Amino acid sequence: MHSESTTSRTGKKLPALAAAVLVLLFVLTGNGTARGAVGCDLNDPDRDVARLFPESTGYKTIYTSVLQKGGEKLLAKVESRLGDKFHGIYETIDVPYTIYEIFTNKKKVGYIHGVNQKGQFGGIQVFLALDLEGRIKAFYIQKMTSQYAGKLRDAKFGRQFTGLTGKDFDHYDVISGKAAGKIEGIRNPVPEAEADFRAALRAAKKNLVLMDEFVDLTP
Amino acid sequence: MITKFQVAYRNLLRKKMRTMLTIIGIALSAWVLVSLLGFNRGYEISLNKDIDNMGFQLMVMAKGCPYEAATLMLKGGTGLRYIKRDVVDEVMREPEVEQTTPFLMAAVFDPNKGESGGIAGYFGVEPKSFSAMKRSLKFRQGKWFTDENAYETVMGYEAAELEQREVGDMILMPEKNVQFKVVGILDRTGTQDDGTIFIPLKTAQKIFNQPDEITTIGIKLKSGADSARLEEKLYKLPDVQVVSLTQVKDTIMSLISTAKVMVLSIALIAILIAMVGVINTILASVWERFQEIGILKTIGAMPWDIFQLIWTETLILCTVGGILGVILALVLARVTDILIRSVLPYAPGGGLVVIDWKLVLVTLAAILGIGLLSGVYPAWKAGRIRPLEAIRGEVGR
Repeated sequence: MHSESTTSRTGKKLPALAAAVLVLLFVLTGNGTARGAVGCDLNDPDRDVARLFPESTGYKTIYTSVLQKGGEKLLAKVESRLGDKFHGIYETIDVPYTIYEIFTNKKKVGYIHGVNQKGQFGGIQVFLALDLEGRIKAFYIQKMTSQYAGKLRDAKFGRQFTGLTGKDFDHYDVISGKAAGKIEGIRNPVPEAEADFRAALRAAKKNLVLMDEFVDLTP
Repeated sequence: MITKFQVAYRNLLRKKMRTMLTIIGIALSAWVLVSLLGFNRGYEISLNKDIDNMGFQLMVMAKGCPYEAATLMLKGGTGLRYIKRDVVDEVMREPEVEQTTPFLMAAVFDPNKGESGGIAGYFGVEPKSFSAMKRSLKFRQGKWFTDENAYETVMGYEAAELEQREVGDMILMPEKNVQFKVVGILDRTGTQDDGTIFIPLKTAQKIFNQPDEITTIGIKLKSGADSARLEEKLYKLPDVQVVSLTQVKDTIMSLISTAKVMVLSIALIAILIAMVGVINTILASVWERFQEIGILKTIGAMPWDIFQLIWTETLILCTVGGILGVILALVLARVTDILIRSVLPYAPGGGLVVIDWKLVLVTLAAILGIGLLSGVYPAWKAGRIRPLEAIRGEVGR
């Protein structure tokens, strides 16, 4: 179907075109001035993508948010699936999320996505490398402030997440920390950092829930 | 009776596309002119505001010491040099000084930031003198430290956001493994304070084992005090350097002046193109109505009447174009702001393009003046047309 502006004569097209350009500029500058919440990006995407997805040859970056994707309704769904409310002044509906779509040659092979999570002594940034069905290929804590951060950021701890999916995390209660199934098998390497261990698990679950809503990871 | 204005208006409507394109040309020139003049005003206002927000006009530090957070981050705290706390008292004795506040900047290495670690900066401040000087800082949550020896922190908005901290939370200083309670989170300021973690000066001195040392003194001058004279006196203190924010401002303004000259040149070219457009449009319109003007003269129109008629057309074009340009500048001020920011090496916070009514009126007057000047030649040419030659269609063809 053709819109009126495309079928009308050139003389009538100009005002419509000008209006469209103005609207576009407003939208663009509106986004530019927005002082929304902080997102979670890889510090060095070229290096990190190659490390987390060794078979990748390239990636594409997509920006989205719960607000953009479905607003309050989606937020309620995400919170219900997570089993916890978004809380604090930083975990909000307008938090921007960066999704890295990973390609091997021209074929999409997976995603990398990170979330911010409140930890005991600072922000924790948890990235997951996922295949197209949402199975974790790599777990990476980019930033964590804790005396014991080294142990939680260790590759040995991260390997416990490999192969897990969103369905596995359905058996993890982020509020009580009670786990069943495969999640029960994830061991905390530092009992003194229980709060940060649980924060990392909550971040992983939130990450998987959000990714499923954003890109549909259903096999 | 039909007026000259109505005749001129109808003449312009005869060639709608040409008239519209001429108006667009004038509007674009007016847009560039208003935006440029608005930028001239806005940049200086914003820069002054940024400097005022710092709360002090002079800084004293050890010679060779980095005085800016970015430098501190790049050097990882290794380039820091210290001055004795007593220097503050010496500075305070100067009659030009209203207030002083000492800082201790420090940086620690955080191995758990990214793959290869990163630097975390801390700013030790005296709660009383610092808050008195930085009155523009507003709290989003909480307040300043309860005690000058407390293990408490006030975080800039972006620092708090990155660390996901709220009042009552704890933060850990990496490397030193010292815990602090978050007692305040500042509102956004658009300055480097947003990314700063403030701790009490005495606590910072204790943690970094610099019991009687500081890195910087911020100095607020009394109203009307001679800054240059004070600078000279301060330079006599041993091993210190003085940074005047007026100098910083002047340096930035001189850097920006190059960009301003370039934009001004573009504006002048745009105005020249618009002038040529106006002359072309009106001249073409005169030649097209060559015979018509001749007939007007044979029925009694004087050269001055024809001159006025043609000049009125110019006036209409310039007025409409000028008003459209001003509207465009007002509506797109934010876009212009973003474009300018993207090309400038440094842009202060706040609006870079400030357009007020005085500026609008000046621009409209300039556009009308230039436009009317452009219309003089075609109007004069039209006024000199000889009736009989025009009717025969022999001249000007």
